Amino acid sequence: MTKYAQSFLVGLQSNLVYRWNFGVRSIFWSFHLIVVYILWGAAFSGNPSIGGFTFVQTLTYFVVIFVLQFFIGAFNEDYQISEDIRNGLINQFLLKPINYFAYRLSVFAAARVVSGAFGLLALLVALPFFRSYLELPHEAWRYVLAVPAMALTAIIQFSIAYFFGLLAFWFLEIQGFVIMSMAIENLLGGEIFPLDLIPHTAFNIVRFLPFFYQAYFPAAIITGRQGYDFAVQGLAIQAFWAFALVCLAEFVWRRGLRHHTAAGG
Amino acid sequence: MEPLARYFRIWIASARYSLTRATMFRGDLFIWATVELLWISVNVCVIAVIYSHTKTVAGWSQYEMLLLVGTSMLIQRFLMGFFWSGIFEMGRNVRSGLFDFTLAQPGDPLFMASTRKLELDGLLNSFVAAGLVAYSAWKLGIHPGLGSVALYAVMVGCGVIIHFSALVMAMSLAFWITSSQGVEGSYFTLMEFSRLPREAFRGVASVIFVWVLPVVVVSNGPARELLHGFQPSWALGLFASTVAWFALAVAIFRSGLKRYTSASS
Repeated sequence: MTKYAQSFLVGLQSNLVYRWNFGVRSIFWSFHLIVVYILWGAAFSGNPSIGGFTFVQTLTYFVVIFVLQFFIGAFNEDYQISEDIRNGLINQFLLKPINYFAYRLSVFAAARVVSGAFGLLALLVALPFFRSYLELPHEAWRYVLAVPAMALTAIIQFSIAYFFGLLAFWFLEIQGFVIMSMAIENLLGGEIFPLDLIPHTAFNIVRFLPFFYQAYFPAAIITGRQGYDFAVQGLAIQAFWAFALVCLAEFVWRRGLRHHTAAGG
Repeated sequence: MEPLARYFRIWIASARYSLTRATMFRGDLFIWATVELLWISVNVCVIAVIYSHTKTVAGWSQYEMLLLVGTSMLIQRFLMGFFWSGIFEMGRNVRSGLFDFTLAQPGDPLFMASTRKLELDGLLNSFVAAGLVAYSAWKLGIHPGLGSVALYAVMVGCGVIIHFSALVMAMSLAFWITSSQGVEGSYFTLMEFSRLPREAFRGVASVIFVWVLPVVVVSNGPARELLHGFQPSWALGLFASTVAWFALAVAIFRSGLKRYTSASS
């Protein structure tokens, strides 16, 4: 356990080197929030509510998604893993008593602490300007259930990124796969629009997919878009997907190692 | 005319090389074409979801909005197809010193850098975006004459030049800063605004995104031309923006070029 704690600490230091990248990223995301504000503001003009939610509640949903992405979203872990494989850096992990998944997870956690701090900072700077556009529910159970939901979301996000990174065992270039999956994840994860706005039948299908738990689910709990029963059922499905994706990652890792050829000294 | 003919021959040679390369890596072409198609689909889904809950957004009906998004996509696909790879690599090459090879080529450095590669996937998807525009026009009962279509095409061309200029300016930062990695994100973030109708912008947002930055006029200009016929103010505004932004981009690029000191040995 100590070695992963050390990886976490090293990860913290190395991610602080990229503090400006996170800073710039948070500024870009702020622009994305402006797009959301203008588009949904225009959609709500003349409509007191859409899908049973007001403009302020909808905007709050997007702000929560914004903060969650900085705290628990996978940014470029897939790329880092693929680079480890392509450059042969992975070889050093094969010779040491260290689990690559756990190592990468600890570095991912360190990166999210740093990016989360920047996301929060950006939010605090912008808060005076849009405090009146935020409206969070007061039920305590939401925040209690949000904690495990966010933890499982982080595992799901990381496992999917890890899976795509491991594709470098078979493919020279994985960026196409990553961006393809990003489009699907953004759409079915509820980052583009709240998923409860899609037709009921489609929603009932999407809620059984892992993407649903990548962003929408914790945000829906926190912002009051779903009730207690839905949240509890959702946690069970989310736990299943987190477990399944970790198993898939381990399976792909073992299969990938069979393909891998370590060269050089 | 002679220099123009020479540049055309250079461009044809680059295009031929790119097409040969694309047919060699057919799997890659398929993946990236699918990626682009997915992102177009994501944008169509957003419109479908929003308009399933409201009849108009800022006075624009569903198919008017689809025509606007299709136009914005068309401009972006042309940029991706004709210029993206070259300009993106320019930023990297300036840092690594590989830009020396561009400078050694027999032509204007900006032309040589930006037209080096053609991306077939972007160009293939421009047909999808054009199909989206044609479908929306058909649903709206618009039957534009040849003149209107020609003017629309010219305005889309102006949009491509403005996008090109914005991207050149963003990537030219590589001449001044050591790491411009992720700077291309600023381009994508800004271009999100081009998918919104002009009427949605109010107050400061209207000043910044309509009057200062040409991100709204670039797509709204051609879309309005199809929807409402020739509007001199929009056409002139777009042409003036095109000239101004292209001149600014060339000036910034040349100013950066003066700072370039080869990094290679």
